Amino acid sequence: MKRIFPVALGLTALLAVTGLLAGGCAAGGRKSVLDADRIVIGVRPDLPSVGFRRPDGTFEGFDVDVARYIARKLGKGVTFEPVLAAEREKAITSGKADLVLATYTISMDRKQKVLFAGPYHISYQDILVRRDEGGIRNVRDLKGRRICEVQGSNAAQRVVTERKVAAQVVPFPDYAGCLAALKQDRVDAITTNDVILAGLAIRDGSGLRLANAQFNEQRTGVGMRKGDVEGCEEVNRAITEMYQDGTASRLLHHWFGKAGLNLSTIAVPQFEGCS
Amino acid sequence: MTTVQAPPPSTPPSATPPSAPPAPAGALPAVRPPAPPRRSVPRRIRVITGVTVTALALLFGSLAVGSAAARDGLRVIGRDAGPQVLATAGLYFGLSDMDAQIADALLMGQGYGGRRQEALARYERRRSEANDALMKAFALSGDDPAGRRTVQSVLDGLGRYERLVGQALLLDSQARHPAGAPPEKVVEVYRQATDLMRLVLLPQAYNLTLESGTIVRRTYDDKSLTVPALRVAVIVTGLVALACLVWLQVYLARRFRRVFGLALLAATLATAVALVAGASVLGQDERDLRVAKTQGFDPVLNVARARAISNSMQGDQSRYLLDKVRADTYEHTYLDKAQTVFYLPAGNLDAYHAGVAASRQGYLGLMGDRLGGRAGEQALSAYQAFQRADTGFRALAASGRADDAVAARLGEVRQAFDTYDGALVTLSRGHEAAFRWAVGDGERALDDLWRLLPFAIGGIALLILAGVWPRLKEYR
Repeated sequence: MKRIFPVALGLTALLAVTGLLAGGCAAGGRKSVLDADRIVIGVRPDLPSVGFRRPDGTFEGFDVDVARYIARKLGKGVTFEPVLAAEREKAITSGKADLVLATYTISMDRKQKVLFAGPYHISYQDILVRRDEGGIRNVRDLKGRRICEVQGSNAAQRVVTERKVAAQVVPFPDYAGCLAALKQDRVDAITTNDVILAGLAIRDGSGLRLANAQFNEQRTGVGMRKGDVEGCEEVNRAITEMYQDGTASRLLHHWFGKAGLNLSTIAVPQFEGCS
Repeated sequence: MTTVQAPPPSTPPSATPPSAPPAPAGALPAVRPPAPPRRSVPRRIRVITGVTVTALALLFGSLAVGSAAARDGLRVIGRDAGPQVLATAGLYFGLSDMDAQIADALLMGQGYGGRRQEALARYERRRSEANDALMKAFALSGDDPAGRRTVQSVLDGLGRYERLVGQALLLDSQARHPAGAPPEKVVEVYRQATDLMRLVLLPQAYNLTLESGTIVRRTYDDKSLTVPALRVAVIVTGLVALACLVWLQVYLARRFRRVFGLALLAATLATAVALVAGASVLGQDERDLRVAKTQGFDPVLNVARARAISNSMQGDQSRYLLDKVRADTYEHTYLDKAQTVFYLPAGNLDAYHAGVAASRQGYLGLMGDRLGGRAGEQALSAYQAFQRADTGFRALAASGRADDAVAARLGEVRQAFDTYDGALVTLSRGHEAAFRWAVGDGERALDDLWRLLPFAIGGIALLILAGVWPRLKEYR
């Protein structure tokens, strides 16, 4: 009888190896954001209150705080990586960043290349005007008015082509130029994503205000590697909790409350779905 | 059972001898040392039999574990979580239709008498369906605290929503307005209600379906790994068991100078049958699980989501007429939803209308992969007709013919939507049938296997005993 045990043991080992092989082959080559202990998150370095690099090299802003919250919920350490608008997709596909939270708007085109968890925030296109401006309350009021267009952003064009509002588009290289022009009455309004406008208004501090026109809903999502369904589901869970435990409301008020961004409805956005 | 043979030439030993040279356990009969001492024979037989029985135990063990895993997968996807996930998809549909019915009722004013009552009755029906779906969602969330909080939050919000709707309807009937946009104070209250519904409740309902869908995905991912792995284990252990049985026979044949032991031959045959049957049933279940998930559950959930979002689109049509201040916003959300369901690149609604009218293929979005086959084509045709109707009623509204626009919205646009919705239901039924068939097929195969398994195990055990026992007895 003694002899049977080694044989049985051998057979069991054989069985185990077969099982492992079969299981291992099927799962081989996949990588999830859940696998690593530390993750790299790409954030914007150039948008005040949203994603901004301080002089000491650290990052601050709404996206940065959301990124920290998600990393904590996933149980990961986090390193931030500056990512400009044009670099977002590459940061994910090249593996430079595991997650990207950088005012990354979900669109069908982008979904062909990257996977989106969230959205973690719904923003709208809005209009920034001078304090004494009384004639611009919604997008239709931009008819015949001068609006600035920052190179590389299609926000002003969307007003003209999508909304069919005949505004006068004045080009500028960057938002700093736009801001100066608005204050010197060379343009009447700046239009883009409301959180970007709120950040600009706060940083400027001279009393520019949002019209709260809230048109063109934009879903801001967490970009991640395509195929990481499990990681995406976990990020969605973290976002749900962020809204349920009041963190989302606290962060939105902290970063954008002062600019008069409409924060009357703060609720978890409708997710895109991970598969 | 066994053929008669000559008795062993010498008397068997009374106790197990310690001096017998051990034969290597895995050695084949051909390489065995020529003549081990007589007294080691019964020990040898016991060892080989023991190994054989162990291999058989592992075979039936992995068969049992494999079929239990397959059954578990079919149960979760086909009977428990799967259908419940689909029920929570009904929650979104119910909620969004409630809001659409209220928008219709407010738009009808005094002009449509009985139809207003009909819309309100449908609102009540949807509310009770939504409650039902909420209870299912609560059961499905199990001990997941976030899921439970979401259900709780939807329930709370629904209470607030109904209160606001009650107010809006009361103000509306007091205003006694003709068909068309109601007075501003009614719109103001409805605006609060629809914001609550669209911005707070519907997203949560949608996320609830996505979240509970992860249960099904995980189960499937898990089983689609374990079932094939166990099938390989069944084949490997089965082959080992067969080899052991052959080894046992060869040993007995050599030792006792007989060609065949019928009992062992029958045991070998039975093992081979069990191996083939087990491996093929597990293979079939693997396929059935895949069909149930990818050709049943996934498309059904997909179409259910498409149907829910489409319903919300037709609500946006009524809201577009109802609320002049926000008409632009509702037009944009309509386009957004349309692109979620049937995506074509288009910057504004006019371009989208033109694109849909001209395209029979190239769609992305929820319905992008579902347009093959007759039912899919019909759904697309019905959708094109619905978008045509949308183009028409918006043209009326834009040209200032508000009454005609309302009449069109409640008349032909509504009809076109109902036809489209019906086409989606038909499409879904086809996939539901595939889903039920696959689950049933997989379960039937497992049932048959389990019915035969006890007989196979008992039969093979008896046959081995019958084959080995007489040989051992000869040494007593």
